Amino acid sequence: METVDYLVLDDEIWEELLALTGGAAAPCFQCGVCTASCPWGLVRGETFSVRKLIRKAQLGVLDGQEELWLCTTCSQCEPNCPRGVPIVEVIQALRYLMWKRRATLAGLPSLLWSVYWNNNPWFQPPSQRMQWAVTLDLPAFDPDQHEILLYIGCTASYDRRAQSLAHSLIQIFRAFQIPFGVLGEDEPCCGETVLRLGHLPYFTEIAEAGAKIFRDRGVRKLVAVSPHCYDVFLNHYPEVNETFEPLHYTEYLASVVDWDDSQFQESFDRKVTFHDPCFLGRRNQRYEAPRVVLENIPGLTLVEMENFGPDSLCCGGGGGRMWMETAPDERFSDLRVQEAASTGASVIATACPYCITCLEDSIKSLDIKGLEVLDIAEIAAKALPR
Amino acid sequence: MVASLYSVDDEQKTIWVFLDQVDGELERVSLEILSKGRQLADEAGWSLNGLLLGHQISDQVQRAIAYGADEIWIAEHPLLEHFTVDAYTHVVEKALVKGRPSVFLCGATPNGRDLAGRLAVRLRTGLNADCTDLRLDPQSGLLTSEVTGFGGGVIALLESPHHRPQMSTVRPGVFPLGDEDPNRVGLTHVMEIEIVEGMIPTKLIERVVGEGVDLTQTPVLVCGGRGIEGKFDMLQELADLMHGDVGATRPPVDEGHIERERQVGQTGVVCRPKIAFACGISGAFHFVVGIQDADFVVAINSDPNAPIFEYADICIVDDALQFIPALIEDIQKERTTSND
Repeated sequence: METVDYLVLDDEIWEELLALTGGAAAPCFQCGVCTASCPWGLVRGETFSVRKLIRKAQLGVLDGQEELWLCTTCSQCEPNCPRGVPIVEVIQALRYLMWKRRATLAGLPSLLWSVYWNNNPWFQPPSQRMQWAVTLDLPAFDPDQHEILLYIGCTASYDRRAQSLAHSLIQIFRAFQIPFGVLGEDEPCCGETVLRLGHLPYFTEIAEAGAKIFRDRGVRKLVAVSPHCYDVFLNHYPEVNETFEPLHYTEYLASVVDWDDSQFQESFDRKVTFHDPCFLGRRNQRYEAPRVVLENIPGLTLVEMENFGPDSLCCGGGGGRMWMETAPDERFSDLRVQEAASTGASVIATACPYCITCLEDSIKSLDIKGLEVLDIAEIAAKALPR
Repeated sequence: MVASLYSVDDEQKTIWVFLDQVDGELERVSLEILSKGRQLADEAGWSLNGLLLGHQISDQVQRAIAYGADEIWIAEHPLLEHFTVDAYTHVVEKALVKGRPSVFLCGATPNGRDLAGRLAVRLRTGLNADCTDLRLDPQSGLLTSEVTGFGGGVIALLESPHHRPQMSTVRPGVFPLGDEDPNRVGLTHVMEIEIVEGMIPTKLIERVVGEGVDLTQTPVLVCGGRGIEGKFDMLQELADLMHGDVGATRPPVDEGHIERERQVGQTGVVCRPKIAFACGISGAFHFVVGIQDADFVVAINSDPNAPIFEYADICIVDDALQFIPALIEDIQKERTTSND
């Protein structure tokens, strides 16, 4: 018997999606540029069809969408879309429908529970959030004394490798005598993972609670360590107060440091290439600030990779992919570190804890010699007078 | 709140244990609960009963008595040969309403969890799931169940003062197995059951025992990283000696030395062994989250600065490839001498 593939249209799903996205998928005319620009095409023969996902969203079809969870929310597709469809937003809405139908991937619900119980997606005890800083004597944020709130975030608080970013940043802030405070154990998880995994109502709840904490504590300028936290504060949080301004730390440093007479005096004689994190670059167009900081480090030579700025290749860690397994031959970061190695640089600089994890893993598994990954904060801290 | 099917006033001062069996063999956790139950029953002057369901299973009765049961209630029927939640709930509910025990305990195995949840609803009582300790107050007869939550950071102590039975599922491995006394004498009570196929919507078509690995339940986990250069046979030997299982970090899995189900960590399994060996593992954060709930960690790495040592209770700075064979040899030697 001949089998016929057919799709079941479901008005209810269609209406749910329409309400969730405000009809964002409707303008799509199915040109397929999104599929062509998706980095999954670089690692898979049969690419992941973004176009089909959007078509299904238009029709209200939800079937076996395991591929829905592949999206790293890198936004490589969005700038190329001739109809300006906010593709990532549509994917997040589709993911939410899967949550509602309890059809997500194994492991993802416990991730959300960790955010709920532990205030972090890393299954770490909330009481240990400030453990990384026990010896640093960090001041609790006080709006009368501190111009900025330094928002550390869950990864830099708990991940041993990422803690080094936070340590470096503290060193830099102290060297420049920047008045800053932290929220310590009261620091709320920003909820970015929850948003990217598509649990929209829970994210709204987190964002409202977080905004209230910032409001009550009188935060006006917030400097975030991770571009992921920065992005949600900037684009997805309700208004904290009239002057609330979230900044990524590279942006902040680029704007406040007097580059003609800076504390960065020690020479860092290395050839460095910069990997733009998606949530700093493509999603928020902050291409310049990280490069300003790097170019002003004495001795440092900055070279660009073949794909940089808006074309920068995703490390593979966004969109909740940090918590999902990626097959060994399908890791974007493998391609990225090879690209970096081909520039002759000995350092990949980046400015995101997820990128560091993915890129370092690839350097190790591909056994690339003479190449290491450093965060801009780590490089800058090395340039401070000893 | 709705009253339970039988009240505190109607209870019998007994502890009942559901005796979980697979293929006609009692599960270890059921024997662990009997061992603990014996202790609680003795302190309170109560009796300890076991509830055994299956088909041609009477040979297991003496085993349960040897581990401390005073009385075994047994139900045998071809339809009870393999666990189905429908049939088992039906029989256990009838038995509980008849015997009215004050306390009813199940192992927190997949079957035990399935059964206990349904029973609690049917009996209109509470259920403390996945308990890690039990106390029974001899005066009041109140059971206190310990439940750990939030990554082990918080302990909740739960009581059920107004509803009966006081039900808990017990996490496997938390109570030590008591000594088996083959000469212990107990009573057997054969239950009369009425059960027909039409009552069981679940049809057992075929029972397949998968090759699947479940590292979450292993008491001893021997993990290997890049540093053991794919020599998982060696780790398996060590694990076998300690009745444990083998896990791995991501790199050896990627390199095909071991199957993906054995990957421990953020994108693999999170384990709670009593003891974990980390062999040739540097200690990246995404691995460490997989063993952070281990009671005790032994790390073996040639690099004294490896981050894994910050998470370990015993730190051995040595090449795992040299150290482990020596350890295996020592354990074997020790065993031979103690057997003489």
